[in-house]
Parts: sequence; C-alpha cells; structure tokens
Amino acid sequence: MANVRAQGRCGSCAHFRNDPAFLETVFKGLTSMSSGYGSTGGNDGICVLHDRHLSARASCAKYTAVLFQPIGVAPVNQGLKSSADRAIERALME
Amino acid sequence: MSNISSSVEQPSVAAPSLRWRELWLKEDWWAIWLGLGIVVIAYGFFANGSSIRWIAVTPAKWSTFDQLGAHFAANWVRYVAQFAAWLAIFSLALTALGHKARAFVPAFIFLYILSVGIFALGQWDKASTYNLEPPLMALAIGLILSNVIGLPRWLDAGFRVEFYIKTGIVLLGATLPFTLIIWAGPVAILQASIVSIITFLVIYFVGVKLGLDKRLAATLGAGGAVCGVSAAIAISGAVGGKKDDAPIAISIVIFWAIVMIFVLPFAAQYLHLPAGVGGAWIGTSEFADAAGFAAAQTYGNIAASGAVSGTSEQAVVAYTLIKVVGRDVWIGIWAFVLAIVATTQWERTETGRKPEAAEIWWRFPKFVIGFLVASAIITLVTASYSLADFNKSVVPVLVAPIKDLRTWAFVFCFLSIGLTTRFRDLAGAGTRPFLAFSAGAVVNVIIGFILSAVVFATHWENLLK
Repeated sequence: MANVRAQGRCGSCAHFRNDPAFLETVFKGLTSMSSGYGSTGGNDGICVLHDRHLSARASCAKYTAVLFQPIGVAPVNQGLKSSADRAIERALME
Repeated sequence: MSNISSSVEQPSVAAPSLRWRELWLKEDWWAIWLGLGIVVIAYGFFANGSSIRWIAVTPAKWSTFDQLGAHFAANWVRYVAQFAAWLAIFSLALTALGHKARAFVPAFIFLYILSVGIFALGQWDKASTYNLEPPLMALAIGLILSNVIGLPRWLDAGFRVEFYIKTGIVLLGATLPFTLIIWAGPVAILQASIVSIITFLVIYFVGVKLGLDKRLAATLGAGGAVCGVSAAIAISGAVGGKKDDAPIAISIVIFWAIVMIFVLPFAAQYLHLPAGVGGAWIGTSEFADAAGFAAAQTYGNIAASGAVSGTSEQAVVAYTLIKVVGRDVWIGIWAFVLAIVATTQWERTETGRKPEAAEIWWRFPKFVIGFLVASAIITLVTASYSLADFNKSVVPVLVAPIKDLRTWAFVFCFLSIGLTTRFRDLAGAGTRPFLAFSAGAVVNVIIGFILSAVVFATHWENLLK
C-alpha cells in the first residue's frame, strides 16, 4: 500500500471498486428501488482502503495505480490487490 | 477519515471515464433504446395501416373463471409472442450491461407468469370492491414470497426494478402530448422545488442537530427530498460519505416508501382528492420513482372505479410530471452543489477533489431524455390530426398498445420491488438517522398536500382536460 508513485485519481486506483455488481452487493437493498447501473451514481465507487464512497475523480496519497480498470464492467485489478485489500473486501462482502 | 491525507496536486494518472461507453453500459440508455425502439416500431406499423396491438395483449375484464379461461385460450399465442419479445429485448440489454442471460431467463419466466396472474386478478370486476389493486397486490405478493417463503438469490437477476420502471417511463412519454409537458412542467418544477428544498433542509438540520455526520445528514436529506435511493447513492458518492452511509439511507427510504405506497392512495381517497390532485400529492411525497408509480397507479385505479373524480391517467401523469420532471432531473445539481459544500466546508483536502460542473450531466437521469423524445415523436407525427380524429384513429391503434406495454413494464417493476425487498438484509439504520428522515417525511407530506390540494389544486384537477 506504500506505492504512492503517482497522484492518480480513485478511478484508476487498485483500492477503488465501482463495478455495479459489486456496489449492489455492498449497498444492501440498493436493487429494491434503484440500481448500481443507473446514471445518477456517476462513476462513484468504494475505496476499500478507507471505507469511503467516493467519486472516481477523488484522489489521495495512498493511490496505487492499476494498469487498466474499465469502469462499468467487472474489475480486472483483482490480481494486483494485496492480502490486506482482499481481507477488507471479504469483510465488506460479509 | 483523517487518513485520507491532503493530496490535491495535479493528478498524473487520469481517472478512466465511461464517455461514449455509457451508451451501452448504463441502464438509463438501454431504457431509452428499448422504449424508443418500441415507439418507432409502433409508429412504423401505424404508418403502414397496421398496429402492434396484437402483441400488446393484456388480460380482459372478467367476472367468471370461464370468461378468464376463454380469454387465455383464445390469446395464448399472443402472450407467448409478447413474452418472447420482452425476453429478447431485456436479455439483450442486460447482457450488454454485464448480467448473465442464463440467470435472467428463468427469473424472467417466473416474473412474467406471476405478472400475468397479477394483471388478470386486477381485471376481475370485483377487484376494486376488495381493494385488490394490481400494484399493491404485486408488491404484497412479492414481499411475501421474498420474506416469508424465500426465493433463491440468483432469481434476483430477473427482478430489475429500476430498469423496468425506466423503460415504462420512456413508454409513458409516448402517451403524453409534448405540449402538456411544456404547459404543466413549470408548475411541477415549482411545486417540487419548494418541497424538495424544505424537505432536504429539515432532514439535514435535524440530522446535524441530532449529532449525525454532515455527509450522512446530506445523504438522508437527498433521499427524502429528491429521488429516494438513487439520490441517496448519488449524494453519498458526491460528498464522499462513509461506506455505511448509503445503506443506512437505503433502509430508511425503503421503509418509508413502502409505508407511503399503502398510505397515500387511501389517504387521498379518504380526503376525496381528484385524481390529478392525488397524483400530484403522491409525486411530491413519495421518495422513490418505482414506489411512487405503484402508489399513483393505485390511485388511478381508485379513480377509474369511480370512488373519486378524475381519470386513472390524470393520477399517473400528475405524478410523473412532479416526480420525474419536477424532482429527478435536478439530482445532478444537488450533487454538484453538495460536492462543493463538502469539499470547501466539510473536508477541504481529504479527498483531493475539485467538483466539476460536468457532474450535473454525468448524474443526469438520462432516461428522462427518452421520456421527452418519445413524447415529442408521437406529438410530431400526429400533429396533423384533429382531436376527434386523434381519439378515433390514433389512440386505439398507436397510443393504446404502447400504453398497454407500459403497464406491463410497471407490473414487472411493482412485482420486482417486493421480490427484491428482504427486510432482514437491510442495514440497521439507527434511531437518530430514522428520526431525522422521519421529520422530513412528515413535513414533506404536509407541504405536499397544501401545494397539491390547495395552492395548485385547480391546475392538477384540470390536467388532461
């Protein structure tokens, strides 16, 4: 998590997840009267490092770049995550 | 929160953006493609002297089971064709959005069969006598199935509440004259703005007074003031809320929205409100689009039964104007303004973000564009007809079938609300957030009533006349 070589935005950070299916799992009840796939949510997602719901355009010193993370489709950054990240995500999913 | 340190320097790595991919990766756009596709096809048939009426079949009014059986025996091929058409277009859209067709198909078969049953029950000539309003039955049956009996989670793949309601709203646009939207829109915007601003401020300041974090208070406020769960999610992200803020708001919005579905139509009936006035009140005081449509459609059915003055369509149209035109379209502005407040007043450097005006467009509920375009298309292509010719030649062949398909989309939605609402899954909201939101809900209902039934009563009562 010490990689702060670039001050990139959350949307391209390894700690950030905004795929709609993930958001619908994390936000219990979201699908009852809304959706993770709608326009109003923008490209917002969850920072699994700070437990914050953030815009993809936010940024912080803990930024860790991923090579490619298309928004709106299943994330491809799983392999780049640290064990700490995965533990946080498991906790989120539970 | 403090560990998100100040790092607002120039980003060297740009955040990926959806840009044009939004056109096939957001359900708002797919609702537009499907809704406008249906409208264009319907017009194509109409222009060639035909109609899509055959496939837009709905259960007919019945009083005995023999009649009901005879209807299905005579029309089962039409139902199969309609089912296949819905399945094909929804599968196409949801697959493009990243869902799995193999989960959606069996779930939609289940949903469609249940919808036929609900629709048919609603057509029973004694249904209104026993208050068996289809939207309420759909919701109640869905809630029982998901909370008492229990359904496999994978079936949720077919219960896409928001997608069905957005598609239905685009189709609804095709049944409204564009001139009506232009005429009634400003009043809807004025009424909705008054209520939204007051409701937001009440929830926000009560929440802060009760010691809630400002971001949570704002998330709750938007949920109550703008468009329910969708607004709560939008604002939570815009202000950088904690991960748990949105689920708290979602739980409270769902609770109050379901209460309002059952309370508002019957309260309006008790107060003998004309259909248009009742619809406007529901549009002002319901929180989520889908839940509000269930309440408005219920009140429309009450009006159709003769219990109150006005027509079913008046209730639905008044609701739509207030909710969609008056409230939903402003979510981007709410998000932009609150993002500015959050980043300049609440946490100046934590998320290293500068709000951008473009956010107003990014968060704009795009399906509203489809609603307006559908209305404009039908208004333009039928502009040469006199009112008498329009009612005689256009309505039964072009508008009525679209309206019937819209009703199907709404039934899918109402059922899906119940089928996806599992109360035990919802996050515990806590007393203080609940109290803050409830204070706003009460104020919202009172002011909504005054504006709908007193200040603008004549306007809403005469809608569509």
